[in-house]
Amino acid sequence: MVQIKKKKDLEAKIPDAGMSDIVFLLLLFFLVSTTIDVDTGIGMSLPEFQEEQEFVPISKERLVTVNINKNGDVLLNGDVIAIPQISENLKDRIVSKIELPSNKKLIVSIKTDRRTNYNLYIQALDQIVLAYSEVQETYSQQFYGKGLADLTPEEKRVVIKEKVPKIISIAEPEKIN
Amino acid sequence: MNFKKKRSNSKQEIPTSSMPDIIFMLLLFFMVATTLREVDVYVKYKLPEAEAIEKIENKRLISYIWVGRSGKIQLNDNIVALEDIQDIMYKKRVELPNVIVSLRIDKESEMGVVTDIQQVLRKASTLRINYSSMLKQ
Repeated sequence: MVQIKKKKDLEAKIPDAGMSDIVFLLLLFFLVSTTIDVDTGIGMSLPEFQEEQEFVPISKERLVTVNINKNGDVLLNGDVIAIPQISENLKDRIVSKIELPSNKKLIVSIKTDRRTNYNLYIQALDQIVLAYSEVQETYSQQFYGKGLADLTPEEKRVVIKEKVPKIISIAEPEKIN
Repeated sequence: MNFKKKRSNSKQEIPTSSMPDIIFMLLLFFMVATTLREVDVYVKYKLPEAEAIEKIENKRLISYIWVGRSGKIQLNDNIVALEDIQDIMYKKRVELPNVIVSLRIDKESEMGVVTDIQQVLRKASTLRINYSSMLKQ
């Protein structure tokens, strides 16, 4: 009798050893071609454009002016100051107005010449924003006992909008003939 | 004496079958986190550095204006004249009411061009701006 040979049990397999290599290549491609764009910056809101400007009288008490001329000299309320000192100088003024109603809060107005270096403007603006954020942070620490980032939305709103609102005015450029 | 070391007969293998899965995960992360650059920037610029900067949370809202060292202004993918910005930005604002304009201005620029752009943006009522800057180290 012919012996019926039992078929050997062949395992059917898709070779997947090279799979990880392929995926590695893909990964490398994405790693190399990626530029993770950082969109960081100082956010501001411009005032609405109006044909006719209204002049609202503002008491000197609440106004701080920062002027930068084309040579890079900085004046704070008329006194010469170095840019890194602006923040320290402003902090006390902001703190002293925390409990005042919103129409008596500090306004910081920043004004430049057309020939002023943009970098200087950003440095000065940075100092102003920094002063406000630091005051907000210390206020939140003192009043709520936690940092600004840990506050509830409602508490945050009170701090940012009511107690220490950032009021920065970019002064209207003067017409130059 | 028998010097032969005792070895177990079992195969020693590190299981690598799930390696592709792990790498796929990594790959997916990068694919999701990547925003491929859609526009070519034609102007040379170096951003200023600042400390009190914030991240723009919603990337979809951003529209970029570049100002190069030479004073050229690029909006989207074209070099534009100052006067054209108003129309383009106004159209953009109609489409996307709370658009944020990210100003990527070279740090050696003069304020003149910045104020001009700001005035144009105000006329186009795109009032939310962001002075793009790097974190100071």
